[in-house]
Amino acid sequence: MKRAKLIGMILYMCLFFSASLADARVYLDVFGKSYKKITIGVPPFKMEKPNGSRMDMTELLHKDLDFSGFIIVAPPSLIDKELTDEGIEKQEIKFNNWRSIGIELLCKAKVLEKDGELTLEAFLYDTFDGSLMLAKRYRTKTGEWRKAVHRLADDILLNITGEKGINGSKVVFASGGGSRKDIYMADIDGQNVKRLTNYRSICLSPSVSSNGKYLSYTSYKEGRPNLYVFDLESNREIFVDREEGMKIGTSWMANKATLAYSHTSGRYSTIYTFDADRKEKKSLLRNEGIYTSPSFSPDGTKMVFVSDMYGTPQVFIKDLVSGDTKRLTYSGSYNSSPNFSPKGDLIVFVAKFEGSFEICTMNPDGSNQRVLTSGGINDSPHISPCGRYIIYSSNKGGKSSINIMLFNGENKRVLRFTDGNETQPRFVP
Amino acid sequence: MKYLAVFLGMLMLVSMGCAQKAVQMPPADQQQLQSIQQGKYDPPSDNKLKDGEVLEEELARRDRDRMRDLSLKDQKSAAQFKDVLFDFDSYAIKDVYFQQLNETGNWLKQNKNILIIVEGHCDEKGTVEYNLALGQKRAEAVKAYLTKSGVDAGRIKAISYGKELPVDPEHTEDAWAKNRRANIKFD
Repeated sequence: MKRAKLIGMILYMCLFFSASLADARVYLDVFGKSYKKITIGVPPFKMEKPNGSRMDMTELLHKDLDFSGFIIVAPPSLIDKELTDEGIEKQEIKFNNWRSIGIELLCKAKVLEKDGELTLEAFLYDTFDGSLMLAKRYRTKTGEWRKAVHRLADDILLNITGEKGINGSKVVFASGGGSRKDIYMADIDGQNVKRLTNYRSICLSPSVSSNGKYLSYTSYKEGRPNLYVFDLESNREIFVDREEGMKIGTSWMANKATLAYSHTSGRYSTIYTFDADRKEKKSLLRNEGIYTSPSFSPDGTKMVFVSDMYGTPQVFIKDLVSGDTKRLTYSGSYNSSPNFSPKGDLIVFVAKFEGSFEICTMNPDGSNQRVLTSGGINDSPHISPCGRYIIYSSNKGGKSSINIMLFNGENKRVLRFTDGNETQPRFVP
Repeated sequence: MKYLAVFLGMLMLVSMGCAQKAVQMPPADQQQLQSIQQGKYDPPSDNKLKDGEVLEEELARRDRDRMRDLSLKDQKSAAQFKDVLFDFDSYAIKDVYFQQLNETGNWLKQNKNILIIVEGHCDEKGTVEYNLALGQKRAEAVKAYLTKSGVDAGRIKAISYGKELPVDPEHTEDAWAKNRRANIKFD
């Protein structure tokens, strides 16, 4: 008995030390093979002067948490008046009551508004032992209340999964119709949609450098497809490739202002890199046929790309140190648009099946290929900086829209920005 | 000290007077200054012609241009460029288009002043980026064929539009077949 107690003590101490070693408790290991979603209760925020935005803020937090794919938000109908009226401080909460309706985590918040400034004071509790997981104040201008909610949602996700959410992220994409297409930037929640180009022409393949400073895209504004690099800070064009032929498929290296793109002209295709800080252009790979869609591993030592060197488009990986090239896709006659995860563990790509084009993932060695979508023409997948979400375009019935899902294909959502056909989405790092 | 103050005071008065004088301008100049500031200034020119007046030289030049445009128009309308269609994910020109491209090549060899653009297109299937490269390859294939038959490569530009400009916006096999094409335009 004594021994059991001693072992218990040691175990407890080990737990205590490991808990204090880690910055935050990680409730969900989302990269595990499977995980169970956590149920969270979010009763309406308290407000001194109740008005419409209280409901909007609570609702937005519901939406943000649900959007993450790791959390089940308890439906408002489950939370009765007694639970709603309860205070937000720990001593005022009867955790038993919340536990009894299956709520594991509880987020309570209070909103204060003064002189056009808004303060959101939020607490996150574990209902199992009533422990406080998060207590934080968020200040914004009243008009920017969405920002405060997104920051809270991202912090809740950091607490639960060990990594911030993407509710505060921005995306770039191409949108339009007919012979006009422009590059847009917007918040991932569909707000603050800004058009970045206005040339009454076709603009394609936008991509933003990892430091957020440069935007690259291909445009027909001078009558043929040239590649442009635009400095978003100084609002100036810093580079144009006007060589004959198609210049397309831009992606930026991690932690560097280096762009890669492909150039197809005559019998040859060349993959170039362009260092935007030094204004240096270099040839990385040159061969007959089609070579396009370059994307780098996070350490910059490997590059995936598409080539038709064996007759059909297939995904290849080139080791930039040893120079070796390896074919990654063998099944099917069409594998294209590869993109390396910024975490280095996955490559997302598009594969053709019967009549559809699906988003798929594989390990960087080509193993473990999985199909994540079903039906339609799905294209241009891109993995979020945190490595957990895939943004892509989906065309079903002739209209193309931007979609997002988890790396395992779960929690698919349609994002809405403009009225046009939206294609080629990219996260803004 | 007292004198200095008086002197300074007088200096100020004088300078203020001068400053006021400096901005005094005749009304016409003021107008000009205003229009310069607003970016609308049109400098007066001595050899400006009155409305409707055209130099004889200019008239003759316009006539020549019109004649050349007309003959170019006739010349161009005589040419009948037809689309070259491709199989899915292919940039190989099919045998059935050889005859058609030979005729185009012959016409271009006879009309040496004409410059052309070959535009390569794809159907809506497949990825945007790969299709942009594929469209380039289709345009290059037609350009290579014409070059081989004796047309100077410098007269032909190859441009790809990927799947951006379909001729048939439908989502059927029929529409896709029409959209996988290379067409020839005058440059």
